[in-house]
Amino acid sequence: MSENTVRNWLVLAGIVFCLAFCLFPFIYMLVISLSTRADFLSQRASFKFTLDNFNAVLTDGSLHFPDYLRNSFLISLASAFFCVVIASLAAYAITRLQFPGRMSLLFFALAVSMFPQIGLVGYLFKFMTRLGWINTYQALVLPYTAWILPLSLWILVSYFSQIPRELDKAALVDGCTYRQILCKVILPVAAPGVLSVFLLSFIFAFNEFMFALMLTTDYRARTVPVGIALFQGLHGQTPWGNIMAASVVTTLPIVILTLVFQRHIMAGLTRGAVKG
Amino acid sequence: MKVELTDITKEFTSLRGRVVALDDISIKIDEGEFFVLLGPSGCGKSTLLNLIAGLEKPTAGRIQFDDKVVADTDRRIFLTPKERNVAFVFQSYALYPHLDVFENIAFPLRIARIEKAEIKKAVEQAAATLEITDLLAVRPAELSGGQRQRVAIARAIVRKPNVFLLDEPLSNLDARLRIAMRAEIKNLQDKLGITTVYVTHDQVEAMGLGDRIAVLNRGKIEQIGTPESLYEKPAGIFVAQFIGSPPMNIIDASIIKADGKLCVVLGNQKLVIPSEKIREIEGLKENHFILGLRPEHITINPPDNAQMLTATIHSVESLGRETAVYLDVDGLAITALCDREGMGKGRQVRVRIHLDKMHIFKGER
Repeated sequence: MSENTVRNWLVLAGIVFCLAFCLFPFIYMLVISLSTRADFLSQRASFKFTLDNFNAVLTDGSLHFPDYLRNSFLISLASAFFCVVIASLAAYAITRLQFPGRMSLLFFALAVSMFPQIGLVGYLFKFMTRLGWINTYQALVLPYTAWILPLSLWILVSYFSQIPRELDKAALVDGCTYRQILCKVILPVAAPGVLSVFLLSFIFAFNEFMFALMLTTDYRARTVPVGIALFQGLHGQTPWGNIMAASVVTTLPIVILTLVFQRHIMAGLTRGAVKG
Repeated sequence: MKVELTDITKEFTSLRGRVVALDDISIKIDEGEFFVLLGPSGCGKSTLLNLIAGLEKPTAGRIQFDDKVVADTDRRIFLTPKERNVAFVFQSYALYPHLDVFENIAFPLRIARIEKAEIKKAVEQAAATLEITDLLAVRPAELSGGQRQRVAIARAIVRKPNVFLLDEPLSNLDARLRIAMRAEIKNLQDKLGITTVYVTHDQVEAMGLGDRIAVLNRGKIEQIGTPESLYEKPAGIFVAQFIGSPPMNIIDASIIKADGKLCVVLGNQKLVIPSEKIREIEGLKENHFILGLRPEHITINPPDNAQMLTATIHSVESLGRETAVYLDVDGLAITALCDREGMGKGRQVRVRIHLDKMHIFKGER
């Protein structure tokens, strides 16, 4: 074998190892969700294919999984929407207007995003109880928006600051108001950035666990991650098949979103690091 | 539309403190005039253009379009670019990358909520004027620099502006295209008759385009005049050196009286001052001055035997039609323009200085 083939084989082996290492939990999840018995590995029981788990998760009313899914989607969509609106307005102001403390504002936002979630959760619980918002959508949308906003802001600031100022001036000369400059020029030009912020916010909100655990009590507002964690069988045993089927159903939309928009997401995440 | 600037001052606050970008500028631009603001980078010419456009507010002063005051710091009047109806062409063209050429040109009309049929007509007419009708469906990213510039100009003229402002529109083009576009901009302005203010740092461009030119330096106007008057009668050393290529020779000279005649001393050699310049020289209070002499007013090895200097050729640079010869006259560096023949480096030559063409400047360099 020549040196080149050896190298190619080694690279291939490395890739296979890394992929297997990363994907093993997912494969395990998928296999169990399609199996009649969750413990087929340890007891040498043979693998029997079934869709019962999926069937149960999607149709059994007592599991409330479709409710969780709907809650998650609506809450994540709302959070992502508010994040994009607020972050783009803020990023426009920070990159285009001259006001004192613009940079300190950005760093303050960054510092806020470093707060450990567990440190906030007690306060949030008291706050939401006072408002009577426990177990409602807004109890999650509000903290999610605030929690994801710093990241969204940083990504959009780096996008907006790369749009040449002359474009603003041209729009101003062409008769735009400042709002029109944002809506008709800045946002369309920064569309990939805005899209990636929307997707990232959506995914962050969709995956969040701690706030959702503390601020919801039942299927009326509970999100998928909490719902899955709290799945319980009839006699207290853990229904692994159902859990894994629910996880697969939950993971799919995220995987699809990421695959379709991966280029935008990557650009959005690395933009600030490379430039600006 | 006449444009009148009165006592315009613009200050910026930066980390270094207050910076005066424009200091008490007053200019009157006539109806339909092609007016050029010329100066080195950082002289405030772009700031002045932004002030006329309404993109920046003056710190003090008044701007009028005909009789309409568009900015007045005393009366707290400030109209936006939209209200002034100005058009602006930027050095970077500033086309909207997400819109095709048609929509780029139509953009100001869409913002003004003009009827669709009318927009189509106006855009097609502007595109025809700039000969870009075949590009209407293309996005700016696919255009060449020259095509982008045409689109930017089409967008500027489409809504019939009061004043047409151009900020170094040709600087990003290659040399050949720049000359072609220069002629085209001049023709277009002649045809449309819109008052135009054009900013450039290139004196050749300014001389070729402007009906009148204002030369700016460090936020102040050095001189305003026609290209010819700037060339023939520069008001100061700055204008003298800025206009013309290669630039005018600026030499420290002193005056002595020898054999009853006034002479100029250059290095260790002296030349009798011709009669046309005697009065001007006699008007000087001191016996030294700054002598300005264009390179074309120096002849090397002339056939006649008038009074000469001797000089050494320091280096030679071919400009194509002519040759720039850098001379050394007893340590003074002087540039001359002449024909090619016999200009070997290091050679000793006789040099005739046409002192009747010299410019006399007072004060220090």
